[in-house]
Amino acid sequence: MWSYAVHGAVWLVLYLLFILAPLFAMLAGTLPPARDVWTEFAVALGYSGLAMMGLQFGLTARFRFVTRPWGEDVIYHFHRQISLIAVGLVFAHPLIIFAAQPELLARPEDGSVPIGALAAVASIGALALLVVTALWRVRLKIGYELWHASHIVLALVAVGGGIVHMVGWSFYLEDPRKRALWIGLVLFWVLLLLYVRVFKPLFMLRRPYRVAAVQRERGDTTTLVMAPDGHAGFRFTPGQFGWLTLWRGPFRITGHPFSFSSSAEAPGGCVAMTIRNLGDFTAQVHSVPVGQRVWLDGPYGAFTIGHPADMHVLIAGGIGITPMMSMLRTLADRGDPRPVLLFYGSKDWDSTTFREELQALRSRLHLKLVHVLADAPQAWTGERGRIDAALLGRHLPPPYAAHEYFICGPNPMMDAVETALGQLGVPLAKYHSERYSFA
Amino acid sequence: MRRLFANRLAIATGVVVLLMSALFALLRVAA
Repeated sequence: MWSYAVHGAVWLVLYLLFILAPLFAMLAGTLPPARDVWTEFAVALGYSGLAMMGLQFGLTARFRFVTRPWGEDVIYHFHRQISLIAVGLVFAHPLIIFAAQPELLARPEDGSVPIGALAAVASIGALALLVVTALWRVRLKIGYELWHASHIVLALVAVGGGIVHMVGWSFYLEDPRKRALWIGLVLFWVLLLLYVRVFKPLFMLRRPYRVAAVQRERGDTTTLVMAPDGHAGFRFTPGQFGWLTLWRGPFRITGHPFSFSSSAEAPGGCVAMTIRNLGDFTAQVHSVPVGQRVWLDGPYGAFTIGHPADMHVLIAGGIGITPMMSMLRTLADRGDPRPVLLFYGSKDWDSTTFREELQALRSRLHLKLVHVLADAPQAWTGERGRIDAALLGRHLPPPYAAHEYFICGPNPMMDAVETALGQLGVPLAKYHSERYSFA
Repeated sequence: MRRLFANRLAIATGVVVLLMSALFALLRVAA
């Protein structure tokens, strides 16, 4: 609990330092005469907003030390929310300046438009498009692949336009050292992008995997078992995930995150991912031929077992069972004697993925299964409906705060379960969540 | 709950940045 808070606090201080240190560095050395307080405030907002946008590349650069203190789901949601704040700051920057100094709106007498102003318009236009396409991608019917590519291009235009605007305006950045600092910062942000899109794929190219088996599972779901091809593979902790690129090569920007479903004790570096057909590219996963070369970037994620706990409580909805399977298989392989309680919400009994293996695992683990069916037949004597506080209360033994909780499933279920755990007095540090969708 | 936490983290960060931007402006004008 204490270490969780300390890691979080250090993370936040470092994040703020990366934003505010370059701003306050502007106060060092010789300075041009100050303008009115509103103009200076607006300029500070512009600098801070640009730094926040630039650091967005760092939040999504898949650095484990960046995502570990909070977990990927929190970081990606923070990435989304902080972008709205950064855009608000950047939009407020010209509005306050024009309100404080309306004469700046007048075009120069020779009719020319300064490069700094053009760059600002390009940057703000790219930002506006970035926000609209990110918030309403599905409503605008923009495919994920096209959106992802445009997201990167628009972010580069926004940040590039921002730095050209600052250098072009040349007020604080008249000082060559300060100019070098900010240009260096922008290059650093671009480097973070190159790390994920170029350097990491180059590394992955040297460490390919081969599909060793393709297994059909209940619930229109397929398990891909992958074996390292010419290398030892990697070790993962149950609950973690990897980015899988199935077709063409690792430079494709369309790697998709999937949890590992296999035991962390599986021999030969083999890993498995269990993927449900959701109607998009996942519809083709069952047709992947055995022997196909694929690329895996991982492992990632703080949704992992290994913390002190008297018992593990796993709460899964639908295909959210996959990381739980990895945990159960690993605990069984390790002969872990601690009790495990699995709440597993499914549509119906027929589509309950892994139900036979779960039953079999009871002979190797101190495992209690609570199946919850949304469409339960009349004869069903188990739980029905959705997983909520009342249902958890019927099966969970006290003391609730001593257990370690893992929740993975659709967003409404996760929201309901997280609220229920809060009502039961379970502190945030004792439960871990993994959402299918980072958005 | 965790998304709510992420929202609060983002808002708190935004507030700190706003306050620090105001401090920057005051320091500039006061100098």
